[in-house]
Amino acid sequence: MKLGLNKVHSCIMVSVMVVTGSFLVQSVSAQESVAVRAVMTKEPMPLDDPNAAVWSSAPQAQFPMSPQVHWQNRIQEVTVKDLKVRALNDGKQVAVLLEYADPTEDPADAAALEFMVGDTKAHFAHGQPMAQVEGGPVNIWFWRNKDGKGVDMSAKGFGTLKPQTHQDVTAKGVYANGTWKVVFSRPLTTEHPNEDMQLKPGEFINIAFAVWDGRKDGAGDLVEKGSQKAVSSWWYFRAEAPPDYSGYIYAALAMGLALAFQFVLIRKLKKGQST
Amino acid sequence: MGSLTKPLILVVVIYLLLKFVVPNIPGSAPLPSSLIFLYLMLTVAGIVIYYTMSGESKDAFWGPIQRFLTGENIGALQTARYAVLILFPLLVGWQTYGSTAVSDAPPPENRTIHPAPPGEYTGLSNPVAKTPDNIMQGKGFYAAFCSPCHGGNFDGKGPAARGFNPPPANFSDPTTIAMLQESYLFWRIKKGGVGLPIEGMPWKSAMPRWEVELPDEWIWKIILGEYDGAHQSPRTWE
Repeated sequence: MKLGLNKVHSCIMVSVMVVTGSFLVQSVSAQESVAVRAVMTKEPMPLDDPNAAVWSSAPQAQFPMSPQVHWQNRIQEVTVKDLKVRALNDGKQVAVLLEYADPTEDPADAAALEFMVGDTKAHFAHGQPMAQVEGGPVNIWFWRNKDGKGVDMSAKGFGTLKPQTHQDVTAKGVYANGTWKVVFSRPLTTEHPNEDMQLKPGEFINIAFAVWDGRKDGAGDLVEKGSQKAVSSWWYFRAEAPPDYSGYIYAALAMGLALAFQFVLIRKLKKGQST
Repeated sequence: MGSLTKPLILVVVIYLLLKFVVPNIPGSAPLPSSLIFLYLMLTVAGIVIYYTMSGESKDAFWGPIQRFLTGENIGALQTARYAVLILFPLLVGWQTYGSTAVSDAPPPENRTIHPAPPGEYTGLSNPVAKTPDNIMQGKGFYAAFCSPCHGGNFDGKGPAARGFNPPPANFSDPTTIAMLQESYLFWRIKKGGVGLPIEGMPWKSAMPRWEVELPDEWIWKIILGEYDGAHQSPRTWE
């Protein structure tokens, strides 16, 4: 009889512990695909090689693109609807690979990355002024097929976009099988924190994208040019820090303490019972 | 025996109350699990204090727990005892890992979808008469200027919508223009995304600042067309 009662007690106790445990476990959250993660690599950085094997070690993020309808001059339809993005860092440099479908290779094909600079929020449309928020500048990395290089630019409002006096960005595009692959790269940090975005491993910053298909219409004019382009609004970008195992170490330590606590407690209880 | 059953039932009852009854009280909301956990801990602390006040109740309370933990004369319960002794350190380790490991998620965004408008945009009434002609004109302007993002069906699914985050508002959804006054729409259309206060995260919005391109009268007509097309009516003060 006594055993039966004990059984009831213990079953309730175990179930209470399980309920308590389920509370503790709820803090684990789901991963969203709203960020580009520049994973750490020990291999040489593929700064000008969009086809390097090491790119496959970086997870691929995909972002939808819209025709630019936010400000004049608008465009209602654009070629590039989706952009695939991978990124790598080696602790010194960051490299970002854009990949998108474009049926033809044209001299005016172009792509750009845009970043907020520092902690100040900036509107994704070239850091245009906001009515109730003091905005900051944006840092734009621009590549065009016929230039064959990256241009490091700054803007704070429409009509203010211009190349910086110090150029830190490199870019290289390779076209094959109806697909552009473009690599942008730069040191993680520069000496111009007021104009250039700075990457601190482990911290999220804001990134946006733009693509121009350099095709011409029947009259020989560029269809996508200037503000008439494919755009995205802000997403996140992070240079991943070297793997941090401290969480496992703390967990192991805590488990050791819990075991020791149990051991001491039961020993003490047993002693108490025998006396 | 009863001395241990009662407190356990109490803990379970309080958990059920907090989890399922409190959220259903009018004006209440589901409690966060951290708060429920805190309340349960307080309950357990209260129970322990209560039962340790006298020597007898203390023995009746701790006795079964002690026997279970030491494993003396509990027979078939040994398995449950070992399970508890193994699970407890694992749980502590898991919890420690969860609270110390570096977060892999982007920063949380608490964007206010309908922030308060500036004072001069509250309580304005539509100066354009709600006539079939004006509604039709408004729908024409809507088709030209708004539908690329907000959609020909007023559902926020226009051909230019997909790249924008936050997505364009869906006017047929009862939580958008149906909850707002015409005055509010006038402000949002006129000043656009960049007119939002900081809690509306203006840096992310692709809504144009239409005041630089459209006269006020067109904007008021667009508002008529929007409500009509989306089969909604503006919120009014009853």
